Amino acid sequence: MTQNRLGWTGKFLAVVRYEILWNIRKKKFLGILVVAFALATLSLAGGHIASAITGDPVEPNPDFVINANVGLGGFGFFLFAIVTTMNTISGEFESGTIVPLLAKPISRTTVFFGKLFAAFLTLLATYCFLMVYMTIGGYVVYGPQNNLHLVPLSLLGALFSTLIWIAIVLLLGTVSRSSLIAALGALGIWLGTAIIGSIIGALAGQGWILTYIPGSGNTGSVGGPPQLGFTVTTGTDSIGPNLINYILHPSWEVTYYKIDIGGTTPEQVQWIALNSEPLSTIILTSIAVALIYFIVFVATSWYFFRRAQVTE
Amino acid sequence: MEFIIETTGLTKKYGSLVAVDKLDLKVEANTIHGFLGPNGAGKTTTIKVLVGLLKPDGGSVSVLGQEIGWDKPDVRSRIGYMPELPKLPKHLKGRELLDIYGRMQGMTAEERGIQIPKLLDMVDLRERENDLIGEYSKGMQQRLGLAQALIGEPKLVILDEPSLGLDPGGMVEVREIMKEMAKEGVTIFLSSHLLHEVQQVCTHVTIINKGVVVTSGTLKQVSAKARGPLTVEAEVDKLSKAVIEKVKELPYVTSVIEEGKRLSVEVETRDDIRSEVSQAITAGGGIVISMNLKGESLEDIFMDLLAKHKRTKEVTK
Ligand SMILES: Nc1ncnc2c1ncn2[C@@H]1O[C@H](COP(=O)(O)OP(=O)(O)O)[C@@H](O)[C@H]1O
Ligand SMILES: [Mg+2]
Repeated sequence: MTQNRLGWTGKFLAVVRYEILWNIRKKKFLGILVVAFALATLSLAGGHIASAITGDPVEPNPDFVINANVGLGGFGFFLFAIVTTMNTISGEFESGTIVPLLAKPISRTTVFFGKLFAAFLTLLATYCFLMVYMTIGGYVVYGPQNNLHLVPLSLLGALFSTLIWIAIVLLLGTVSRSSLIAALGALGIWLGTAIIGSIIGALAGQGWILTYIPGSGNTGSVGGPPQLGFTVTTGTDSIGPNLINYILHPSWEVTYYKIDIGGTTPEQVQWIALNSEPLSTIILTSIAVALIYFIVFVATSWYFFRRAQVTE
Repeated sequence: MEFIIETTGLTKKYGSLVAVDKLDLKVEANTIHGFLGPNGAGKTTTIKVLVGLLKPDGGSVSVLGQEIGWDKPDVRSRIGYMPELPKLPKHLKGRELLDIYGRMQGMTAEERGIQIPKLLDMVDLRERENDLIGEYSKGMQQRLGLAQALIGEPKLVILDEPSLGLDPGGMVEVREIMKEMAKEGVTIFLSSHLLHEVQQVCTHVTIINKGVVVTSGTLKQVSAKARGPLTVEAEVDKLSKAVIEKVKELPYVTSVIEEGKRLSVEVETRDDIRSEVSQAITAGGGIVISMNLKGESLEDIFMDLLAKHKRTKEVTK
């Protein structure tokens, strides 16, 4: 007679193992991983390419690594969320593998959070590799680097930035049971927030709205209007860089501007300052926004998954 | 009487379609119970309710003495389940899958180390255990589907159309495995749309059609319910009065008709009495050349059912 000697943790880890093995063998995940490393390499090689064209030696850049944001930007976070999560629930329904899985003596809650945790671990490992690669590469190409101790903050920020997209992709996939809808729906949301949102923000001066939607957020600047000052984006994509900037410059005030197209020539374009807020507020807001979206979307997905009947 | 599976008034609908209609199903412990019915009868739907994949719309369901409830995993820890044409994750290797499913069953590393190689041997996948399931043939996936249903030493094994997608050799092996498990005290509940499959292994049978139980009981009882007399037809060499007299002496024989070398013996029992008739013929000095059983057997009932089912389908079209 077998006794159930493996408790909840053991079963949870079995789900995590199941999902990680699945994740890392997906062609799309491996594809995006290759692309990410290729882009990281390209940004590292940028200095060499420029020097080959101009003939000047590669200029040392001690802030390269700290500004690199683990080599990823908003779209990178989005893509990694897609490749780790678009099949997480919906793929099980599509392939029919949900049938033997949910007939096992594990609760749906265990399956759901095991899978989510596996996506998180996959991302954590990927971003760690990218961060180490950018750090070593940056040192080799651009010479000694400043503030290396702050680089893990970009890792933390990158994870926050990605989690929000993971929650969106997961929700779309769980409700629709279609990986295609999960991916395309999330892409639609990404495009909507990234492109349409920023146009509205810049032209209508309603950029503050962007602070509360996932993505790049509002754009402001420190020390003068956008062309002159240091640009700061407030969204969930920028949690990492903003954290680092806050530690380096705790007193930064970010000012938002509106374009005033008063005349007909470019010189007549005016930036009108709207309002300002401390960088610390921006960081707290974006972390709160990321967490709230994450919790609400994940809880909703979980609710749907727990009730899901397997008609496949 | 303790039932391993007991449903009372189980109802399950897909929209307006009633797939399972107030089904009362009782499966005794230590039996091989066949769940027989034509395609679309509601077998898979019933099974999915039993393993917690579908929520019933009505009735009560208990398995291994426990109400199944919704998302109560404990009940399932003693149930092995092989889905109809099982779909297993293609990104995992055969052995990895069994190992992970074994962990989900709560098995320790030691238990998995002993049981998994045995199961792989049993379904003849030992040599391919480290290949991805995506590279397996349909038959291999089916066999792995069976192995995963047996992991963790379940008390109840539910097999949904286990012979679908298997070649004849594979079907024989699966039957042997089922008999072997039954000897070890495992209750087996298998669905099938093939009568001969059920007749070959099952001790008990429930026939279902359009979500309703047609008949249920031991294989013998169900066969006996088939109406109409059975006839043993024999071709006999050296057919004589003595032979006919001997045959008529058998207790359950109602009439004997002679037609050249052919003898038609009508009997009043559902048991297969061919060997008794044959002995009587020999005792009377005749030689049996061939013999067969005619009449409304289980097969006839089932074929009739299928024909009716087809007719109603054609009408609804
Ligand atoms: N997912 C589904 N959605 C709608 N109808 C279904 C679904 N699955 C099965 N059915 C219908 O329910 C009935 C019973 O099906 P099923 O349980 O699969 O029968 P069986 O396993 O005996 O062949 C059939 O009429 C079938 O068409
Ligand atoms: Mg079926």
